[in-house]
Amino acid sequence: MTNWQNLQPRSFLEASARDRAIGLVDEGSFTELAGPFDRVTSPHLELLGDAVAFDDGIVTGIGRIGKTPVFVISQEGKFIGGSVGEIGGAKMVNTIKTAIDFHDDLVAKYPDLTDEEKPVVVISFETGGVRLHEANAGLLAHAEVMDQLQKARGKVPVIAVIGSKVGGFGGMGFVAAATDAIIMSEFGRLGLTGPEVIEQEMGKEEFDASDRALVYRTTGGRHKYIMGDANFLVQDTVEAFRKQVAELAPLPVADFEAMRRIGSPEKVENQLRLVALAAEMQPKDAVDVWAKAGNENAAGLLDVPFAEFMSTVKRLSV
Amino acid sequence: MALHTLELTLEPATAAGPVKAPTHIGVTGSSDLEVLIQPEDLSGKVSVKLVTPVTGFDALWERVLRKFIDETSLSDTRIEINDNNATPAVVLLRLHQAYTAANAA
Amino acid sequence: MTQHDTRKDWRTRAADTAARKEAAAPLFAKGKEVLAKDTVALLEAVIRAGDVINIEGNNQKQADFLADCLNQVDKSKIHDLHMVQSAVPLKSHLDLFDNGIAKKLDFAFGGPQAARVAEFIDNGKIQLGAIHTYLELFGRYFLDLTPRVSLVCAYKADRKGNLYTGFNTEDTPVIVEATKFKDGIVIAQVNEIVDELPRVDIPGDWVDAVIESPKPFFIEPLFTRDPANITDNQILLAMMCLKGIYGEYGVTSMNHGIGFLTSAIELILPTYGAELGLKGKICTHMIINPHPTMIPAIEEGWVEAIHCFGGELGMEDYVASRPDVFFIGPDGTLRSNRAFAQTAGHYAADMFIGGTLQIDKYGNSSTATAGRVAGFGGAPNMGCDPKGRRHPSGAWLKCGEELPSLDSLTGSVPRGKRLVVQGVETFGEGRKPVFVDELDAWKLAKSANLDIPPVMIYGDDLTHIVTEEGIAYLNRCKDMETRMAAIRAVAGFTEIGLTAKPEETKALREAGIVKTPSDLGIDPSRATRDLLAAKNMRDLVTWSGGLYNPPARFRNW
Repeated sequence: MTNWQNLQPRSFLEASARDRAIGLVDEGSFTELAGPFDRVTSPHLELLGDAVAFDDGIVTGIGRIGKTPVFVISQEGKFIGGSVGEIGGAKMVNTIKTAIDFHDDLVAKYPDLTDEEKPVVVISFETGGVRLHEANAGLLAHAEVMDQLQKARGKVPVIAVIGSKVGGFGGMGFVAAATDAIIMSEFGRLGLTGPEVIEQEMGKEEFDASDRALVYRTTGGRHKYIMGDANFLVQDTVEAFRKQVAELAPLPVADFEAMRRIGSPEKVENQLRLVALAAEMQPKDAVDVWAKAGNENAAGLLDVPFAEFMSTVKRLSV
Repeated sequence: MALHTLELTLEPATAAGPVKAPTHIGVTGSSDLEVLIQPEDLSGKVSVKLVTPVTGFDALWERVLRKFIDETSLSDTRIEINDNNATPAVVLLRLHQAYTAANAA
Repeated sequence: MTQHDTRKDWRTRAADTAARKEAAAPLFAKGKEVLAKDTVALLEAVIRAGDVINIEGNNQKQADFLADCLNQVDKSKIHDLHMVQSAVPLKSHLDLFDNGIAKKLDFAFGGPQAARVAEFIDNGKIQLGAIHTYLELFGRYFLDLTPRVSLVCAYKADRKGNLYTGFNTEDTPVIVEATKFKDGIVIAQVNEIVDELPRVDIPGDWVDAVIESPKPFFIEPLFTRDPANITDNQILLAMMCLKGIYGEYGVTSMNHGIGFLTSAIELILPTYGAELGLKGKICTHMIINPHPTMIPAIEEGWVEAIHCFGGELGMEDYVASRPDVFFIGPDGTLRSNRAFAQTAGHYAADMFIGGTLQIDKYGNSSTATAGRVAGFGGAPNMGCDPKGRRHPSGAWLKCGEELPSLDSLTGSVPRGKRLVVQGVETFGEGRKPVFVDELDAWKLAKSANLDIPPVMIYGDDLTHIVTEEGIAYLNRCKDMETRMAAIRAVAGFTEIGLTAKPEETKALREAGIVKTPSDLGIDPSRATRDLLAAKNMRDLVTWSGGLYNPPARFRNW
C-alpha cells in the first residue's frame, strides 16, 4: 500500500486513482470496496477483445476525515480515458447509495448526531464520460448516478475534486456539475462536450482542440474558478485537495446547498443572467469574460504563479 | 477477437518461498499492465494467469516470466496480469515493483 | 606555349547574374524590397532551367513562402532544377519534383516527407544525388554543390537587404556565404520589413531581394519534450547513463539527442545527479538547442555554456535572460548557428548520446526503415569519432585508454576516443525489437537503389549501448566476437538477446564490459517520475521564473 505521508506533498495531477483515494482521507483510514482482488472486470470489453482492469478503472471505498465518514469514488484516466461503463458505473452508484443508506441508519439510531459525524461523498473525476464500448450500460450508469445524487441531496453532501490529466468531460461533466461543491486545481478541466468533439462538430475555426492553451483557458481550473463553476481552487498537491475536503466535510448540509451552482429557482435565474451576459458581450475568448469580471490584466492571469492568481483574481458575479 | 488468456505454471530452480502479502500494482494503461500477486500453497510452484488483447507473444511472455522467477526464486505464489501491450521492459519493471511492494507490506 | 589562358572571359557567372538581375529590375518596389505578389515573377526572372537551387529550411525554421512560390513558376521555362538543401520536411519541397520543376536532390534530412522521398526515387521523379550529414552538405556548398540561387528566411530585413535572423539564425549564414561569394543570387522572405534592425546577422550587400511574406515563416518546436510523457523505464535508463557513463567518465561536454531519454537525463540532473555528487563534474558545456527540459539544471547552476543549432519556440526570453550560459548578441538576443554548433558537436564535444530504431548484432544503428528515406541530419556528425581531433580531455582520454585494440594501428602512441552512446529500450512501440540481425536500412537500399545502406552510426564509432538490461561498454571489447557478445548481453528478450549465453554474460560482467543496474548499484524501484525535477510544462515555467513561454499546444493549465 502506498505510503500516505509520502503521498501528501505529491502532485495530485500525477497521482493514480487509488493513490488519490488513499490520500484524500486520513492516514490509514481508507478501505477499498469492490477492489482489484474482487476481480470484477468488464464483460463487454472481454467480448470485444479489449484490455480489462481488475477494478474497471474506478476505485471505490470508505475512509475518514476527522470524525466524518468519507465515501470515496476515484476514476483512473489511464484505463480507457477513465470512461464509465457498466461495472465502474455500478461501483459509483452503489457507493453513493451506501453512503445514503449509512446516513439514514445512523440518523435513525443516533438522532443527536453532529454534522461532522455524518457521512460525505467525494468523487475524484478523471473521465471523458460514457465508455463507448458499452454505451447503453454506460449511459444508464450515468442516469443512475444522477438519481443517487438527487437522493443524496439535503442529506449527504457530494464533493467533486478535479485535478487529474483527463479532467471531467462528457456525461460525467454533467454529473460533476450536479454535485454540491467542486474543488479544482489549475490543471483540472471541467466541461460537457469535450474539446475534440466540439472541433469535430463545429470546425477548427470555432474551436481548435490541438490548441491546449485555448482548451485550458476555456475549461481549466482558473477559468472555472473565475466563472464560479468551481467553488475552490487549490494547489496541485494531494494534501491541498485533502485539506480543502477536510474544511468542507464537517459543515452542515445547508451550507452545501449554498455552494451549488444549479438546482433551485434562484440558481437557475443566476445561470440565465450568465447566458444573457454572454449574449450581450459576445466574448471572443475566455479572457474577455475575465476582464468583464473586473480583472485589469486579464490575459496576464493565465501565467501568474498560483499564489499571485489567488490574491489578485476577481471572480465574475452577475 | 475475444481476449487472449495465457496460463502458465512455473517452478523456480531453488524455492525461496512466497511473497508476504497479497498486493496489487499498476494500471492497465496503454503499453502498461497491472499485477495481482499473492501467496498460495501451490506445492512450490508459481501460477500465472495473463489476460491480453495481443496474441502471438506467448513464448516471449514465458521467457520474461521465467526470468522474473529465476531472479526472485519465488515459489507458492499466484500472479495475475491484465496487460495492454506492455513491452518486456515494462513487464519486468512492474513485476519487480509488485514483488517489492508485496514483501514490504 | 603562351602564358595566357585560352579562356577569354573570367566573369561569365557575374555577367549571367547581372543579366538575371536586370530582368528582375522592374519588380523592385523600394530598395531591395519586392512585394509578395511579385515573388513568382521574381523567381521566373532569376532562375534558369537546370540551376542548382537552395531553399532554406531545416527541422526548425522554413522558407515556406518561397518554396510555395517556386512551385508556381512556369515549368516550361524553369525545370530540371537541382535542389541542394539541408532538409525537405515540407510538402512543397516534394511538390517541386511532382510538378516537374525540380529533378535532382542532394539533402541531409527528410523528416515528415521521408515516405514521399522514397516513392519519388522509386518512380524516377527524384534523381538522388546523395544523403549527407549537415557538415558534409555544407562543405559541398563550397566545393561542388554551390547554389546559383538561394531562397532563405529571416525574422526581419531593412530595405538595404540587411537581415535579422536572430534566435533562429540556423543555416542562413552558410547558405548565403556559399551562394553570394560565387556570384549567386540570394532572396530572403522575412516576417517584417523595418527601418532599423535589432542587429545585422547577414549584411545587406550579400542579399539581392527581400520579401515580406504574407504569413510569418513556419517554425516547428521540435525539441520541446513534455515531461508528463516520460516513463519510469526512461528514468531507469537515465539513472544508468548518469552513473555508468556521465559520472564514470566525467563527461563535461556533449550533445543530447531529441528523444525522451535525454530529456529524462536533463530532468534528473538536479535530483539524482546531485545525489551522485556530479554537479560541476558533468554537463558543464553543451551543444544543444534551447531544450526546455534543461531549465531546472541551468537554474541549479550545472551549466556553464550552451551553443545552439537553432532556437526553440517559447525559449526566447529565458535564453536572452541567461547570457552567461547562452550565446547572445549585442542586441540581447540569441544567435544560433547550425554550422558552428555541428562543428563543435563534431570536434569539440566529448560525447554524443541519442536513440535509434534499430541496432544490428555488430552495433551498427539506423533509423531508416523500408519505404522511408529520412536521412539523419546532424546525428552522424556528432555520433562518430572525429579523426581530426587533437585536443585531449579527461573523458576522451579515458574512453581511448579503455580501447584494447588501440595499439594495433597506432602502436604505443596514446589517443582518445569520443563517447558515442545509444540509449534504447530493447523493444520499441508495438513490441518491435530494437536489436536485429540485419538493419532495415538494407531493404531500403535495395528498394530506393541506394549504393550503401543508410547507417546512422557505424559500429566502430559506437562506444556504449544502454538498455533496461544494462550498459554494454563496447569500447572495452578487444574484438568483434566480444563486441557481439556484449551487445547480446544487453539485448533482453529480442532474438539477438536470446542468443546470449549466461556464462559468457557472467564473464563480461566480471570484466566490467557489461554492467546491469545492480552492478551499477541502481535500485530499479527508485526509477519513478518522483525523480523528475519538473513533471509537466507548468513546472518548467515555474522553474524559469515565468520566462519560458511554451507554445499553445504544450500548455496544461
